[in-house]
Amino acid sequence: MDIRALLFTPALIVLLLGLLSMGSNGRDSVSLQGEGSSFLYPQIQAWASEFTARNPGIIINYNPTGSGAGQSSFLKGVVDFAGSDPPLSRDVWEESWDRVVQMPVVIGMVAIVYNVPGVDELRLDGEVLALIYLGVIEYWDDERIRALNPGEDLPHERIIAVHRSDSSGTTQVFTLFLHKSAPDVWGEDLVGKSIEWPVDDTGRGIGGKGNQGVLEAVRSNLYSIGYVEYAYAIKNNMKTAAIMNREGEFIKPSMEAAQAAALGALDSIPDSPDGDWSRAFQDIVYAPGSGSYPITSWSFLLFYKSYNDPAKADAVRRFIQWINVEGQAHIVDGYIPVPAQVRQVNLKAVEMIHG
Amino acid sequence: MRDWRRVKERIFLAVTSILAMVAVAPLFHIIASVAIRGGGVLYRAGLDFLTSQPAPPGSSMLGGIGPALLGTLWLALLTSAIGIPLSVLTAVFIVEFKDHPLARLAKVFTSSLLEIPTVLIGMLVFLTIVSMMGHYSLLAGSIALAIVMLPYTVSYVERAMEEVPRTYREAGYSIGMTRSQVVFDVVMGIARRGVAAGVVIGLAKIVSETAPLLFTIGSARSSYPMSMKDVFEPGDAVPLLIFQFAQTPYQNWQDLAWGAALILTVIVLALFAAMKLIVREVHL
Amino acid sequence: MDNTGKMPAGDRRLFYSLAPAAVISMGILVVMTVLFIYYSIPAVRVYGAKLITTSTWSPSEYGEPSYGLLIPILGTLISSIIAVVIALPLALSAVFFTEEVLPRSMGSVRSAFASLIEAMTGIPTIVYGLWGLMVLSPFLRDNVYQPLYRYLGFIPLFSCEPVTGSTILTAGILLSIMITPFIYAVVRQSYNQVPRTYKEAILALGATRYEYARILFGMIKPAILAGALIGFGRAAGETVAVALVVGNTFNPPTCILSPSYTVSALIANQFANAPLYPYMVNVLVLGGLILLVLGIISNILGVMYLARVRYVA
Repeated sequence: MDIRALLFTPALIVLLLGLLSMGSNGRDSVSLQGEGSSFLYPQIQAWASEFTARNPGIIINYNPTGSGAGQSSFLKGVVDFAGSDPPLSRDVWEESWDRVVQMPVVIGMVAIVYNVPGVDELRLDGEVLALIYLGVIEYWDDERIRALNPGEDLPHERIIAVHRSDSSGTTQVFTLFLHKSAPDVWGEDLVGKSIEWPVDDTGRGIGGKGNQGVLEAVRSNLYSIGYVEYAYAIKNNMKTAAIMNREGEFIKPSMEAAQAAALGALDSIPDSPDGDWSRAFQDIVYAPGSGSYPITSWSFLLFYKSYNDPAKADAVRRFIQWINVEGQAHIVDGYIPVPAQVRQVNLKAVEMIHG
Repeated sequence: MRDWRRVKERIFLAVTSILAMVAVAPLFHIIASVAIRGGGVLYRAGLDFLTSQPAPPGSSMLGGIGPALLGTLWLALLTSAIGIPLSVLTAVFIVEFKDHPLARLAKVFTSSLLEIPTVLIGMLVFLTIVSMMGHYSLLAGSIALAIVMLPYTVSYVERAMEEVPRTYREAGYSIGMTRSQVVFDVVMGIARRGVAAGVVIGLAKIVSETAPLLFTIGSARSSYPMSMKDVFEPGDAVPLLIFQFAQTPYQNWQDLAWGAALILTVIVLALFAAMKLIVREVHL
Repeated sequence: MDNTGKMPAGDRRLFYSLAPAAVISMGILVVMTVLFIYYSIPAVRVYGAKLITTSTWSPSEYGEPSYGLLIPILGTLISSIIAVVIALPLALSAVFFTEEVLPRSMGSVRSAFASLIEAMTGIPTIVYGLWGLMVLSPFLRDNVYQPLYRYLGFIPLFSCEPVTGSTILTAGILLSIMITPFIYAVVRQSYNQVPRTYKEAILALGATRYEYARILFGMIKPAILAGALIGFGRAAGETVAVALVVGNTFNPPTCILSPSYTVSALIANQFANAPLYPYMVNVLVLGGLILLVLGIISNILGVMYLARVRYVA
């Protein structure tokens, strides 16, 4: 056979398939494309399959590239909805509130995981954590750690502080907590999704990509400490530290502790999905209230108020309605549902979306 | 004196043999690790693994990688349609007109594509094709993959054609063949081993690429692309599924990732084996 | 320079039928370079030379972000050099092993060995990365880095205590495994171009196979250099696998037993959320542009060296 013909065989097949599919009408289903937070991905995928099972003809796809990429693609109009750990910043919200709605759909918690053999219960507060990540506290048996953990047998070993290497909402929540609980030690310039970690200068800092990367680094390095989303900590059976909250209680991450934090921060949520959520995001961290876990956050879905295709708008409305009512029965292990008061606000979005 | 030379030879032979083994050893270790973890998963899931959708995270069910596998097949076909003619013809041009400045530029420019992080190729396609279409699609992914394939296939085909001794060309001309007949019937006929190798290497590379797909195909994991129309819609691919599922904490999704890694490795090795078999029969 | 005018008609027809493919292939890089430059300009305008002479990385959504790529650039250079230094002897040994140690009569064993090395280019880079993280880096830390530090700690390169297996050296070693097949392919091709008569003449002089190898590899030295350069470029551009093992911290890579960063790993880690920060996309694209320029330079040099081999053979 002639080589020239062979070269173009795949192109010919494609052409043929194209001709064959000319007659068919394509699919008569609506598909919604989302993008953003990789933290939200498992929950959205679980909702998507349950939702499609009940609403055949609506397919939901989600691309877990990261909150920043999600917000950027969403504002460019490349996707139908976005998932984002932080809400739109105040500046962006002011420019876009007339076409965008935001809603928290789950609560996230940042668990402090550690790998110190023999130490099964560890208590820490914001200041000690900040000093560890500053590189000031060098050894596990430092007196400031011992003071919080009387009776524990802490080894004289160097602490390896593991952090995220990619830009991440988890880092933002963690550093915001450090700043709010120990403002004199952890300055505002060290709050963000991706920061310059002082501990790296000592050679005892390691960056891991994603929650899984941090977890692997903690697991494979003895005497290390790190922060990951709650689901990763419990699914991997990692030891988690109890963290001191605003009331002075040492609390381990749990469903109840997250909801207590959410209730403690209810005052700052806006009364409409097109309101400014940026303050609410700040306020749930280190929130007041007994029993609340201090490193807690909202995670958001973003939708447009108007879609070109009426069928798409209808699908979006049904999806929002469903996740805020029936969807609450399909929360993935490790994720925390938002309180009913917040869901009431979320449901207002159904009336705001048009084709 | 003579003995010392022989001793040196012995040592040299031993050292080179050991180093040669060290060079291929990781291949076996990697394949073994993937086979052990992925094999157990495939055994548990059975044939459903190839056709079902992934089960929800954290469930005791496994599901499968059907949409991703189908997406990868579409990507391979589309990328071949774009990438094979483009890269083979470019390679022929580079070899045949090697003294022409355009050919020299083409050679340097295409081989430089190898050095770019492939995530940036994905960004290029995002900024051009995806932004223009307004949404993710398998087509955009294929264009990104065709760019990834280009430098590999070009360099292999180029090398294969250069290995063909001059005498064959001269024989072709002496019986009155035109330049293009000599190139495509004589040179490529003899070099078809290398050309096939180049195409297969390119395909093996693109079916296992993740980064160019991150911002181009959209990880549409819930639908099966069936016709050409779906090519303009978001899709999924096996390496992307591995990359994303391996980063979640859920056991059933991590198992899916390992099973998928085994499938992918088998596909790639099968491509190699098929190429070697075809080639052996026409070897001169 | 255009000499199509002097070509016979048949040649000219072939030239013009193939040229479009070549132009499209070249166009990709041109479009990419132009787009990258366009996207880098704002960053260069704001930060200037500080981008490559300093090493801070503190993005901020509201305040004044500051960026410096010095550490990742050094990390890329150092890890790629390590990769080439390790891969070169491996690749040369493998070429010699295939061509000279395996007897000529065992043709199928030879081609099987060559295929194995070729097959290594087909393993997904994500699989290399997972293997590097789970298997290679713990192994290296316990069995290589600890002794290196203990006995050779007085050398600045090994002067830091290896607390983790994710280091610039691990990245270099993993990269060396990944680029060996590429160097192997380049060198083996030139090796086979050396006319049989030369080889027979050397052996007829009574040379041992060690001496024979030295003469032969000496003859194709430019090809070895070319292979090294191409391998270097390949290593500099590798992303996913490196990001998993390099440690991803802004720590100077002057001691290779500590975690550090590479440009490609920085891009892989930061690109997804970069749009949230002023100028971060621009700075990362500039990083990509630097890799691109590095790649083009190593390629041009590589192609030049390879052209030199033809005169020898």
